[in-house]
Amino acid sequence: MTAPGLLARSEIQAATSVDDAVARLAELGTEGAPLAGGTWLMRSARPPRTFISLQRVAELREVSVNGWGALVTHAELAAAALPPALHAVRTAARTSAFPQVRNVATLGGNLSARGFAEADLVPALLALDATVEVATPAGRQRTDVEAYLRVAQSSGPALLVSATAPAPMGRFSGYGRLTVRGGGEYAIASVAIAADLDGARVASTVRVAVGSVEARARRCPEAEALLTGTVLDETSARAAGRAAAEVLTARDDLLAPGWYRLEVLPVVFARAAADCLAATPEETS
Amino acid sequence: MNYRLTVNGRETEVDVPGATPLAEVLRDHLHLRGTKVGCGTGRCGSCTVRLGDRAVASCILPVGLAEDEPVTTVEGLAAPDGPRHPVQDAMVARHGVQCGACTPGMVMTLATFLDAVPDPDDEQVREALTGNLCRCTGYHTIVDAALSAATARKDMP
Repeated sequence: MTAPGLLARSEIQAATSVDDAVARLAELGTEGAPLAGGTWLMRSARPPRTFISLQRVAELREVSVNGWGALVTHAELAAAALPPALHAVRTAARTSAFPQVRNVATLGGNLSARGFAEADLVPALLALDATVEVATPAGRQRTDVEAYLRVAQSSGPALLVSATAPAPMGRFSGYGRLTVRGGGEYAIASVAIAADLDGARVASTVRVAVGSVEARARRCPEAEALLTGTVLDETSARAAGRAAAEVLTARDDLLAPGWYRLEVLPVVFARAAADCLAATPEETS
Repeated sequence: MNYRLTVNGRETEVDVPGATPLAEVLRDHLHLRGTKVGCGTGRCGSCTVRLGDRAVASCILPVGLAEDEPVTTVEGLAAPDGPRHPVQDAMVARHGVQCGACTPGMVMTLATFLDAVPDPDDEQVREALTGNLCRCTGYHTIVDAALSAATARKDMP
C-alpha cells in the first residue's frame, strides 16, 4: 500500500521546445521547476506546484562526439564511444547508482539537482573542463560548469541545454568512486582526474575534481599542483589524494563520517588514475 | 490530468496529477499489485517495471513521463494461460524466492537484462542486480537463477 500525500503530487506540463520551457518556467517562478527523468525531484520533500517536462524537447537529446544534450541518460553516456580525453564521464555514468536509475537519470538533472553532493557526473565534467549551454529568457549563454553549479543552486528560469568538453589528442581522464557495498550506492568519495600525458606518462594541464566529500563537488588545485610534471601512477595519485585530504572540509552523513571520506581519498585517487591510465597506449596495446 | 498508458499491451487512461508515481497508478488505480513499493525512494528495486526496453524504478517515475512507451509489469511478462517466463521458472527451480517481496522486481530486472545480455557471467548478473535488494536469500540463488534462465532461453525455439 502506498501512502497518498507522502510523495510528490505535482502537476506536469509538457514543453515543446527549449524556448517554450524557459517561457513557462519564467511565468511559474518559484511555483515551477524543469523535469527531466525525475529520479531526484520525485524524492523532494517540497516539490513545486508544476513541473515543466522536457521529455518531448528533441533538441535536448542531441549528441555529438564531445557534447551531450541535457536529456542524455547515464545509461546512454555509459554506452557511448568516447575518446580517452572524455573517458571519466563514461566511467562516472557507468558506475553511478544502478541500472533502474541510470536508465532514467539525465546529465542535465545530475548537474542541476540542488543539494546533491554525490552527483557523479559533476566531478567528471569539472575535470574535463566542460562548458554548458544555458537558456534563459534573455537568451542563451555558454558558461563553465563551476559557474553553472552556482546558478543551479539559486532559483531562476535557467535551463541547461547541453554540455560540451574538449577532447585534444594526448589527453586522458579517469574516474574513481568508493561505496559501502560493491555498487548501487551514493559514493562516499569520488575523484575525476584529467591530464595531458606524454609518452612517459608525465602529466601536464592537470585538472582534478573531488565529489561527495564537500557539499558540492569542486576542483582541487593542491592535488593538481602535486600531479603536474610528475609521472601519473598509483604512488603520485595517492600523494595527490593525501594533499586533497589536507585541504578539503568533509561532511558527515549517515553513510560516512567526514574523517572517513578524507581517509579513503588516496585510494579513490588511485582508482581514478588507474581508470585514466587504462586508456593509455601501453595499457591498451 | 488524464494520462494514456499502455500497460501489458492494454491501453488505459488514468486521471491523476502528473507527478503521481507510476507504481501507485499501477497498484492503486489499475490494481496490478505485483509491482511492490518497498522503499519508495528508488533504492530497493522492488518496484522495477519495464518502460519500453528499459528497467525503471516505478516508485520515482512520474506517470506523466510514462505515456510515450509501453509499460510491462510482472503480470504482463507471461500470458496468464501461457508458460512462465524462463526467469520465473528459474527463480522457482533455484530457490531464488523466499519472502517474495523483492521477487517481482528481481524478475523484471533480470528479464530485461537477459534481453540485452543473453549470455552473461556471474559478475555481470551481480552488477545488473545492484539496484535490487533482497533481505532473505543472500543473492547466490538469484544469481544462479539468472544464469540458469540464460541457458534455458538459449535452448528455446
